[in-house]
Amino acid sequence: MAIAKMKKVYLIGHQAEKDCTLGLLQRMAVMEVNDLQGKAAADAAWAELVENDREQESLQELEARLAEVRFALDFLNRHYPQKKSMLSSLEDNRMLLALDDFNARAADWGRETQEVYRELRRADEKLMSLRNEETRLQNLRTLLQPWEKLDVPLEEVRTTAQVCLELGMLPNDELAAFRTALSAAAAEGFLAEVHADREETYLLLAYAASSKEGLKEALKQFGFNRQDFVSLRDTAAENLARIEEELRQAVAQRQAVLEETKKLVACREQLNCYGDYLVMERDKKQLVNNLTRTENAFVMEGWVREKDLPLLEQKLAADCNTVVSLAREPEDDEAFPVALENPPFAAPFEFITTLYGTPKPRGIDPTFALTPFFVAFFGICMSDAGYGLVIAALGAWMLWKVKLGAFARRIFKVVLACGISTVIFGSLIGGWFGGLIPLAPLFFDALADPMRMLIYALAIGIFQIFVGMGIMFYHKASKGKWLDAIYDELFWALFLTGLILFAFPQTAGLARVLAPGAAVGLVFTQGRTQKGIVKKFISGLFSLYNVTGYLGDILSYSRLLALGLATSVIAMSVNMLSKMLGGTVIGAIVMVIMLVGGHLFNLVINILGAYVHSSRLQYLEFFNRFFESGGRSFKPFKLNTNHVNVTLD
Amino acid sequence: MEIGLGLGILGAAVATLLAGIGSAIGIGIAGQSSAGVISEDPDKFGLTIVLTALPGTQGIYGLIMGFLILFRTGIMGGEILALTTPQGLGLLFAALPIGFVGWYSAIYQGKAAAASIQMIAKRPEEFGKAMIYPVMVETYAVFALLMSIMIFMFLPF
Repeated sequence: MAIAKMKKVYLIGHQAEKDCTLGLLQRMAVMEVNDLQGKAAADAAWAELVENDREQESLQELEARLAEVRFALDFLNRHYPQKKSMLSSLEDNRMLLALDDFNARAADWGRETQEVYRELRRADEKLMSLRNEETRLQNLRTLLQPWEKLDVPLEEVRTTAQVCLELGMLPNDELAAFRTALSAAAAEGFLAEVHADREETYLLLAYAASSKEGLKEALKQFGFNRQDFVSLRDTAAENLARIEEELRQAVAQRQAVLEETKKLVACREQLNCYGDYLVMERDKKQLVNNLTRTENAFVMEGWVREKDLPLLEQKLAADCNTVVSLAREPEDDEAFPVALENPPFAAPFEFITTLYGTPKPRGIDPTFALTPFFVAFFGICMSDAGYGLVIAALGAWMLWKVKLGAFARRIFKVVLACGISTVIFGSLIGGWFGGLIPLAPLFFDALADPMRMLIYALAIGIFQIFVGMGIMFYHKASKGKWLDAIYDELFWALFLTGLILFAFPQTAGLARVLAPGAAVGLVFTQGRTQKGIVKKFISGLFSLYNVTGYLGDILSYSRLLALGLATSVIAMSVNMLSKMLGGTVIGAIVMVIMLVGGHLFNLVINILGAYVHSSRLQYLEFFNRFFESGGRSFKPFKLNTNHVNVTLD
Repeated sequence: MEIGLGLGILGAAVATLLAGIGSAIGIGIAGQSSAGVISEDPDKFGLTIVLTALPGTQGIYGLIMGFLILFRTGIMGGEILALTTPQGLGLLFAALPIGFVGWYSAIYQGKAAAASIQMIAKRPEEFGKAMIYPVMVETYAVFALLMSIMIFMFLPF
């Protein structure tokens, strides 16, 4: 219902018990540890007493081991990918393991992992060199392919004392000109076309060594691109056949290597677990960087929720008995990390608040107040009881049949609540699958009487805005700022009430007193921060213009009607279009597909709309009245394990 | 066929086609932005898809108006009404708010969504805020739909 009370806690103990203390904190996940290392630089007295602590060597060792595990896992995942189901990202499939078992097994895992790592590293290197070899062969093949028809062995294509033999390419459109130039420069010259593609012709050129100088210029001018296959023997075709064979062998060797490492896939689970262990140890060593030390003692500073403090102190006394804890209240201007605390029905909705922002440390947690509104708005926007059943069923099934992670559990609790709300509002003012199940709405049909629904929507909006002002009033009053509360909240509330009362003939008399009275109050108080009587008055007068803001906010709630109608009309259209198809057997099948597909589409689109617009009404219209974000959320030091769920005593 | 009925059908067509054009452009803009983000980080697909789909609602609102007119005139599932010209014009005018506002708001919502998608590429934890900007544009499409429906409901026939 609020923001948790925090205490600043100092833990001071003997170095020998540092590891034990860090382990305890990690398991309990109750303390956010601050970085003290900057403090020595800022505070000379402090710097004289303590020095920065670090355990660089063991941290580096752990990082190195972790890199090995990650390499091994990466290798296995690359070559033997795991099939993942849609649900797997939501599920909590962690292995349950007591901490003592976890620690005990880690030594074995460490030894085995090292062997797995070595083997995989060797395999990886082998694969890499095979891949390089394959690339080399493929490149050579590309070069040789055009010369396949050349029946001269490649080692014979060379320059002797009498004759020059050369291979090379010429652009197709230069060929004729080159022939002319060749016969002019070297009459004995011989030119054979081996192969031609779209751009170039592949040529075997022979001429007497004596013409070499004369021909040099022509070769250059026409862009004769000489090809040398110095190290190759035999014809191109023979070489190509050899390359094919070598490539086949390389592929076979690669497969053999992968076949060899396949047995190590069984180690994946163990690698994952050992990785978790290393992360756990690494995090502890890393946190040491936040600590300071003297010769024999360590000092750490952090934040602990007030309600967690007794248990922390009790456990510390039991496990690490030299450690002294000192706790104090945060100072008046000291920002503390924000942890939200809500009763079980509202706690799952905290993500809606934090998606917008974390409240300020001394601000207001809006989660409790927004929960009923969010749920109701979602139901009104969906306004189809049939769709509500589907959503609620999905939520219930996920919660009861699937082992979900903590965050996913919260989400599906919200889904369940929104589904139930949709059933309620759908049966009151909407239909069941757009009238597919012909049950009349229990209250009234919003589609038939949208004017009535509009008035209800705006009324709900006015109510929520007043609740928001009420929260702000209470917040200001509880801090002793009674006058601010009265001027900024109560006067506005009275003014708006007055304006609303004008709408009803019975209360117009009261409205004639209330609205002007409150307006006068606003004019005289809203400019109170300004200097000078004229400025105060003008600023107060202009503040009345804010009424347009309130008006806009209230009208914004008309979306509750519009989105509700949208669901109903599309659902009805789906039903009507499907009905037209019935009659024949094929028609009936198409009709069923269309009904299911159409309603599913409508459901998904409207869940998106209902979620987005219900959130928006909280974020803009409701939060505007009282909420200030800008806090830092509480991040206790904890276990970050993905594959092992460490059970505590 | 009476001119009135023709005008009514024109209304259904205008609502659906203008709002539909807007949504198509809007989603196109947002989709390009999403694809860029996904190429860097495929894990953000879930977040970007919500923002990319937002400019699609205008097309749906236009479709709603189109269906309402088709039902009312009896072209879909009923007896076809003989509408007078003023009655047909009334239906056409009812279609205009969501048609035009849907068209333009979807395009600008698409642009706002594209910017928000770039924002969550860098700061996925600020998804709530990123969502607000495009949804603020949507407000006017909702208002237009509301006015279209109100005109439609209170047409005197």
